[in-house]
Amino acid sequence: MAKEITLVELQTMSSRLGLRLSDEELEKLLPGVNRSHHQILELRELITDSIEPAAAFVASRTEKR
Amino acid sequence: MTPTELSHLSITEASSGLRRKEFSPVELAQACLERIESIDGKLHSFITITADLALKQARNAEQELRVGIDKGPLHGIPIALKDLYATKNIRTTCHSAVLQDWVPDHDAATVTKLREAGTILLGKLGMHEFAFGGPSVDAPFPAVRNPWNTAHIPGGSSSGSGAALAAGLCLGSLGSDTGGSIRTPSSHCAVVGMKPTYGRVSRYGIVPLSWSLDHAGPMARNVEDCAILLQAIAGYDPKDPASANVPVPNLRAELKNGIKGLRVGVPRANWFNENKGTDSETESIFNDALKILEGLGAIVFEIDGQPFSLARKVNQTILTAEAYAYHEKRFQEAPQKFGSSVRRRMLEGAFLSAADYIAALRARTVLNEQIRANFSRVDVFATPTAPRPPETFEAMDPNEQNLRPSFTNPFNLTGLPAISLPCGFTKDNLPVGLQIVAQPFEESTAFRVAYAYERATEWHKRRPRFEKDP
Repeated sequence: MAKEITLVELQTMSSRLGLRLSDEELEKLLPGVNRSHHQILELRELITDSIEPAAAFVASRTEKR
Repeated sequence: MTPTELSHLSITEASSGLRRKEFSPVELAQACLERIESIDGKLHSFITITADLALKQARNAEQELRVGIDKGPLHGIPIALKDLYATKNIRTTCHSAVLQDWVPDHDAATVTKLREAGTILLGKLGMHEFAFGGPSVDAPFPAVRNPWNTAHIPGGSSSGSGAALAAGLCLGSLGSDTGGSIRTPSSHCAVVGMKPTYGRVSRYGIVPLSWSLDHAGPMARNVEDCAILLQAIAGYDPKDPASANVPVPNLRAELKNGIKGLRVGVPRANWFNENKGTDSETESIFNDALKILEGLGAIVFEIDGQPFSLARKVNQTILTAEAYAYHEKRFQEAPQKFGSSVRRRMLEGAFLSAADYIAALRARTVLNEQIRANFSRVDVFATPTAPRPPETFEAMDPNEQNLRPSFTNPFNLTGLPAISLPCGFTKDNLPVGLQIVAQPFEESTAFRVAYAYERATEWHKRRPRFEKDP
């Protein structure tokens, strides 16, 4: 089981990200942030070294929008 | 024909009626506008009504049809658009205070195509704010209500599209779908919605939620109308980096070919019972739908749902990371402009690392392979569209989506074409949807199955009733 992110850690991260969020809002965010991190741990169990990300870069595509 | 009858016509019926001169495009547009005026105060499906533009376009269509200029089955047909499609000189809000006054200087590629097909634009439709979160209770526009029972949610995020179609306020609509946002409101409002293959329809000019999961697609009151709309908007667009240069077949050509011998895989085990599981009445209605497919000659059998079940977590990680990345500057400068629901969910994406996001993209590779491997023995998947009927606004739980299986988002993750159509009603008269999923760029197969089911049932003919209805 991964260590839970604490409110203090979330406050630090939030500040580094340039977000000005109140402690009350960060407290509301905390359960969702921890749930996300647990989800990622489950996802990591699916992947092996040979798996590449499902992202495409096509060097020949140069169209401008 | 009364105005109420006119506004409830299907696109094919209206198209025939216009050509037989039973009514004019102006009369058709006026019927929809009068109905919007009459009942949308209870539904809030429209954010912006473009009545003057609609009547001008209708007069043009009338003149063109009179002199023999026929642009096809959508010529003179009144439609409305989810309010994240950029419309030149028409406010496009995404149901948010953030874009409350945004008037684009360009049209989305799909909007251009629909205009060139001769459609009449009635206005822009309400949605979940930025197509995320839940009903937008603290946004500058009221939350859309379900026409079948206004105490209930219409599903989202293309809420206005579902509600307006079900209530007979327009004949066709475009929604967008990042985790189920076309199919869920289609299910909850008893209309038909198609999320095409990723790359089939241009996303150019649609405000993004998640670049790699966003799909544009049509919504309508029956399967054939949905195919007509998709035919008009599909095709390669160099302005969309994800657009696929794949020919678009005639999507109506195979509709009536039947489904004898077609193999339908039902990924029930390890998915339908996830956490709180699927509502028993919904699953029972879905099982009845499977029996109808069998009666039409399909071979229905069960497959393992495990990889489908895991898709929700991958989808959520990618979606929140990409959504936050798109809105990062706005969150740094004025987070208070976002509604509470979308703010809470998008901000979760701020605290994911690059390695987390890449892990999700790698898991996407794995699940995409596992899910698509089933196509060696099935032609389509079938599931309920939503795990439960639409709940009331009062009972709505923002965490509910994590407690039940999501039947829609595996097909955003895999990019597979998926259609939702009505397959029954609960004892409380709330709609239930059937989802059919086909192989990449095989929208015509999904349409064929849906059409066969629709012809064998009467669900699509039911209408919600309003006090002012004759």
